[in-house]
Amino acid sequence: MPLLIGLILLVVTWTVIRAVFPGRPLVALVPVALAGAALLVLFYPALATVEFWAGLIGFVAILSALLVVIHPNPMMSVLFLILNLFCVALFYLMLQAEFLAALQIIVYAGAIMVLFLFVVMLLNLKAEEGLRIGTGPQRWGAFGLGLLFSGLMFWAIQNRGRLAYFAPESAGGGFGTAREVAGLLFTRHVFAFEAVSILLVAAMVGAVVLAKRKLG
Amino acid sequence: MMRVEFFLLIAALVFSIGAVGVLIRRNAIVILMCIELMLNAVNLTFIAFAHERQEMVGHVFVFFVMAVAAAEAAVGLAIVIAIFRRRRSADVEDASLMRW
Repeated sequence: MPLLIGLILLVVTWTVIRAVFPGRPLVALVPVALAGAALLVLFYPALATVEFWAGLIGFVAILSALLVVIHPNPMMSVLFLILNLFCVALFYLMLQAEFLAALQIIVYAGAIMVLFLFVVMLLNLKAEEGLRIGTGPQRWGAFGLGLLFSGLMFWAIQNRGRLAYFAPESAGGGFGTAREVAGLLFTRHVFAFEAVSILLVAAMVGAVVLAKRKLG
Repeated sequence: MMRVEFFLLIAALVFSIGAVGVLIRRNAIVILMCIELMLNAVNLTFIAFAHERQEMVGHVFVFFVMAVAAAEAAVGLAIVIAIFRRRRSADVEDASLMRW
């Protein structure tokens, strides 16, 4: 845990030094890299714990999500979103969802993000001047609502023991494998599966019609 | 092993960041990306609970959410392209015809 907190503090220090001395990247990089190496040597047993890696991935996930929102250049937003999707895929692996981790990388980080990247490059969007993020009341209202909403979810997580709750059953052998997912998908949820295929066809036709220059 | 609350907290934070992003950004493509962020946070919550309760139904749900997200991204980006062609801008303030 001290290793993780130290590394997070180092990233914060690096950002601050970069902001204070713009145009001189070495001033920030050298001391932060030395301190990081010293931390790794001092606390190297922590590298073998699950908690350290989970914390690190969580930190990267939250940082990249923040950068998606605050980066003025849409191109960089797409790249940080891909980083976030990879972090979530690693969490899926930790939670024994191997099949969905693979799907996450192939479908999300592969197909959907390529679509986003393609549109950003096609429209040739420049970075927004001064990051136009709403005006006056809208901006503060948005931050207030965000804080309220995350507070509400923290409260729900804290108090979820009071909700109806079942103890987990014993783990089956192939939990999270493609076989188990497919077994449910093609038996109990086969109607939803077919409905989703119709939805995808409709979305595909709709996208083509919407993006077409002239109908007929 | 990690407690499930850790994953729930990460998902809640990412969801909140995405929600704030939808509210404060004015670029339509970035807003769509923030929606993807929120969908992902929900997926993580599904997987965390599926692991805690050792039930596979959560995984099936995530599968459907991914399919809907793909459809939503395709249609949303097509709309952005159509608006951009008309107004030369991907700013949501410029597409205010249906605003009350």
